[in-house]
Amino acid sequence: MKRELKITVNGDLYDLYVEPGTLLVEVLRDKLGLTGTKRGCDSMSCGACTVILDGKAVKSCTILALQANGKEVTTVEGLANGSKLHPIQQSFIDHWAFQCGFCTSGQIMAAKALLDENPNPTRKEIKYAMNGHLCRCTGYNMIIEAILDAANRIQEEAK
Amino acid sequence: MKHYHVIGEDAPNIDGFAKVTGQAIYTFDMTLPGMLHGKILRSPHSHARIISIDTSKAESLPGVKAVITAMETGERRQGAWRRYPELCDEPVLCLEKVRYIGDPVAAVAAIDEDIALEALDLIEVEYEPLPAVFDPMEAIKEGAPQLHDDVENNINLTRHIEWGDVDKGFEEADFIREDEFILPAQSHVPLETHGSLASFDGGNNRLTLWTSTQTPYYVQCLLATAMNLRENGVKVIKPHCGSGFGGKNELFADQFCAGYLARKTGRPVKIVYSREEEFTCARRRTPIHYYLKIGAKRDGTFVAKEARAFSDGGAYTSMGATLLYLTGWFSAFPYRYPNYRYDGYKVFTNKSPSSSMRGYGGIQANFCGESQIEMLAADMGIDPVEIRKKNAMYPNYEVPGQATIASCGLPEGLEKIGEYIKERGNLPKDHGIGLACYGFNSGGIFNWFNTPYAFSGAEVRINIDGMVDVYSLAADVGQGADTTMCMIAAEELGVHLSDIRMHSGDTSICPSDLGAWASRETLMMGNAVKMAAADAKRQLFEIAASKMGANIVYDLEAGDRRIYLRDRPERGLSYYDVVRDAIRAKEGSLIVGRGHYTPHGKGMISPAFSFGVQAVEVEVDRETGYVKILNVFTAHDSGQVINPVAIRGQVEGSIMMSAGYGYSEEMLYDGGKVLNPNLVDYSLIGYRDMPSAVTVDCPTYEPEGPFGAKEVGEGITCPTAGALANAIYHAVGVRITDPPLTPEKILMALKEKSA
Amino acid sequence: MASDFEYFNPGTLDEALNLLSRYGKESKVLAGGQSLLLLMRRKLVAPQYLIDIKGISSLDYIKVNESGDLSIGALTPHRSVELSRKIQQKFSILSEMEQDLAAVENRNWGSIGGNLCHADPAGDPSPVLVALNARLKIASVRGERNVEVEYFARDRFKVDLAHDEILTEIQVPCPALRTGSRYRKFSRMEGGFAIASVAMSITLNAESDICDDVRIVLGAVSVSSRRAREAEKVLIGKEITDELLSEAGDIASEEVDPIDDMRASAAYRRELIRVLVRRVGKEALLRAGNDSWKGISFKDTGRAALLGRR
Repeated sequence: MKRELKITVNGDLYDLYVEPGTLLVEVLRDKLGLTGTKRGCDSMSCGACTVILDGKAVKSCTILALQANGKEVTTVEGLANGSKLHPIQQSFIDHWAFQCGFCTSGQIMAAKALLDENPNPTRKEIKYAMNGHLCRCTGYNMIIEAILDAANRIQEEAK
Repeated sequence: MKHYHVIGEDAPNIDGFAKVTGQAIYTFDMTLPGMLHGKILRSPHSHARIISIDTSKAESLPGVKAVITAMETGERRQGAWRRYPELCDEPVLCLEKVRYIGDPVAAVAAIDEDIALEALDLIEVEYEPLPAVFDPMEAIKEGAPQLHDDVENNINLTRHIEWGDVDKGFEEADFIREDEFILPAQSHVPLETHGSLASFDGGNNRLTLWTSTQTPYYVQCLLATAMNLRENGVKVIKPHCGSGFGGKNELFADQFCAGYLARKTGRPVKIVYSREEEFTCARRRTPIHYYLKIGAKRDGTFVAKEARAFSDGGAYTSMGATLLYLTGWFSAFPYRYPNYRYDGYKVFTNKSPSSSMRGYGGIQANFCGESQIEMLAADMGIDPVEIRKKNAMYPNYEVPGQATIASCGLPEGLEKIGEYIKERGNLPKDHGIGLACYGFNSGGIFNWFNTPYAFSGAEVRINIDGMVDVYSLAADVGQGADTTMCMIAAEELGVHLSDIRMHSGDTSICPSDLGAWASRETLMMGNAVKMAAADAKRQLFEIAASKMGANIVYDLEAGDRRIYLRDRPERGLSYYDVVRDAIRAKEGSLIVGRGHYTPHGKGMISPAFSFGVQAVEVEVDRETGYVKILNVFTAHDSGQVINPVAIRGQVEGSIMMSAGYGYSEEMLYDGGKVLNPNLVDYSLIGYRDMPSAVTVDCPTYEPEGPFGAKEVGEGITCPTAGALANAIYHAVGVRITDPPLTPEKILMALKEKSA
Repeated sequence: MASDFEYFNPGTLDEALNLLSRYGKESKVLAGGQSLLLLMRRKLVAPQYLIDIKGISSLDYIKVNESGDLSIGALTPHRSVELSRKIQQKFSILSEMEQDLAAVENRNWGSIGGNLCHADPAGDPSPVLVALNARLKIASVRGERNVEVEYFARDRFKVDLAHDEILTEIQVPCPALRTGSRYRKFSRMEGGFAIASVAMSITLNAESDICDDVRIVLGAVSVSSRRAREAEKVLIGKEITDELLSEAGDIASEEVDPIDDMRASAAYRRELIRVLVRRVGKEALLRAGNDSWKGISFKDTGRAALLGRR
């Protein structure tokens, strides 16, 4: 039996009805059309489905949509301000921190959560914080450099 | 050296904005109005005869719109070997027999995924299980279960390569080594699994297929044949593709099942592989039993090499046939062997077909060859760098009777590696540095697909505002081919990257290209795009020359949005003005340039070869066998660099994949069943495992490549695993010949050694 | 995800317990769901009723009482345990264990209690809590009871929890003075699933260097965390030396009956246990604060010597 789901996604409040078995990632992708959030493994291994839920990075493939009832979700579509990219996004472009791009939304959201919590991380802290994300293309180092650079850019912008 | 305006400088990926904002649409993301969801029923048996299939219960399940079996697809078999129809041996859907766990038997289209899955459970297939065989060395024995009626001893193919006099060579050798290696199955693990969305126009009998592929043109042709449509009755569109690594080079079940179901239902049908299907029913890197013999003179000069390979080919020929040749070819790389002999056997087994994968055939040959060279060097007391320097290929070297190596930066690479090792000096305890050299093809020449078109074709159109439209079917699967092609077009036309608009991935608007495999796009499509741009540029030059009224002896050049006299650059015209005049002069027609490339006069293997050498440093924990891969230093030659940042991406991504092959990645089997078809139990190198990487360029000019460029994406995958094995040997003295070199294997070898 | 269940998300423990007492066997408790939803997706579990307790905020807390005993609400996220100052100060082994448990995203959503109830043999919290001699509080409409963590997991993925019960609290007693504890896991990939793990807690005599108490807990090698009691006997009542730790490692590797699976053979797990007990013991001992402790070179216990990790 469908249940009501009130959820704020990228600042917009949605009032939906979903089956209890519906996953958060299914609501985002299939009901709201926010296909930037990907699914790569369905075993919590790859991190492609990562979104920010009430300020914390989570893997939306293993969360029931109803568990996000009343909460705020930010997806990759919610980062840029119009056509102006978030510094992390710009930094990913500048450092060639993606290739096929399929894992990129998840990587960017995890990086966002990391920098929100720790604005000036070390390389090692980045490796630990991002370890739940697989990338088959880049070999990770260029992503790490993008995140380090993004941290600087965010601090510069704040000045 | 020539001064370039665009190439040789880092350029951002032209798809960057789309990919970092989540706007890039992959096949996985697509939906169409009225779309149905398809699922594929797969064999639970390694080998069985199909007695009967009853789909009636599935068909009567509410929400199910169609079920297909071999009754629809018929006896037709498919495969990419159009030149050799007997090698196209894969049933579209299985009719009489299934040959591996995962062989497709039926497919269902339903109004949602859950119903489609439920319907699969309702299809009743009666099987008569048959004895199965999983190891190539068992499969070739007399009396082994036979997979294909017409193939004796399961020997699918044999290949022989020979030059010089190998036996005489060994007679002259002062040192000889013989070694055996067993290489594992690696999975491609593209983050986006295989997937397709098909839409059928019944009025015109035409199919449109959006699909995650590296080879839109192959899919177009093969699907047309499989569905009995004319070739251009199939339009294939490759949206953004979540990577391939060689695993998306052929026609797959998602593609033909979606096509058939769309035709049958009259509605769009989407099929996406689950991660488990990706592991068990797609393709894998070919496991090989390798036997190698090498002979050298006392001074370290190689005099002969002999190689024998038995590949675990899986149930069908697939692209594994090419592997059988390539691994033999690369076993002689990148050294000068005056005498060489290779015999390869591709053996059918009851497992998923093994096929093309990044570093195709090369990584296997490299692991074995580079391990053996180090063993030989140790036997002979020669330094690992010196023995390689002594035998490395060099520019203009002719591989006897096979191919001529034109550009070759390997000698310079070895110098740089030597310096690097010297700089590192004495290593801490239990550290080791291992080396491996490699060379790789920049595309293949042998036309097994029997394409009547040029290998790569491109078109360039210049609009009135100077915007350039480039049409290229080069398959960008993440490596950045589209960006590379834009750079090449911009450089040739003398415009900025922002003046280029790329149209790629649609077989109905782009001239043909064979696809993203064999590291061919930069050289082959690069040449085609450059030629198309040059054709358009020539049309601009005609107008410019006439307007400038310059002396006939002056050459024109285009750069930075100007067309000017090469020797008097201050005399020139604005590109935009010339474009407007040229279009006016052509009675308002667009300026169109066409280009195509097919290698000629370059033999039958490859038009050019990349080279490099890599040093891997590790620290080994002697008590647990744990290996920390610390740093990877690479000196590589990919000719003139087009986009340095993209090359770095290729190098580092290759390190991740090859280190995985050497250390952690392996498809584990119980008979024919994959035990670890998920990313929990199949271990990829992660953030914390990834070593730091330093890459230095040894640039050469490759005469056959666009602006002197050649490949980078695959060759660099070859060395890391072998270099890792050598590093472990130098750290703790154990030699393991069956990757992955897991901590367990290392510890057990250490215990054996100390016992 | 295919699903055919009725969903409840009680806001209080009482509501949850009432639901459980009503639906019992046909129901499943969902804490974060990171384990359960995977099983449900593969149709390995198909409950009729799903009781989602994640919203019971009263079970999310970390408290230290006047005696220094720690209590953690069962639904406290891993990440809270990891970052808690109280835990970092007095129970650092717990926060260290959490730092290396799965990924940040999993730790943000999953709870320490949910992890214990899932009872994956490779789970990290269980061996650590056994080493800390922790107890669990379990509630049902019938009342409350306590069980030692050591006896909570009965088998792979099976715990001592009746169908109407919920794990509500993890209670960790204040360690005795001069107690040191350490946890290390060995995994093939960094931060990955444990192939073998060891948690150790050593308490030294206040007056001498004699080991008064020790708990050696082996994880990921059996169906659930196991104490290596024979190995413990080697150390108790003695002044611990390198040799004794090696002996304890040898005995632990012999007394365990390791599982043999695709992640590692039994023989390899034995070897890992042998090494881990010695290395973890060394670190735990150092932490026990025995400055004058003889026989072991301190510099050997640097990170590199431990597991080759950095």
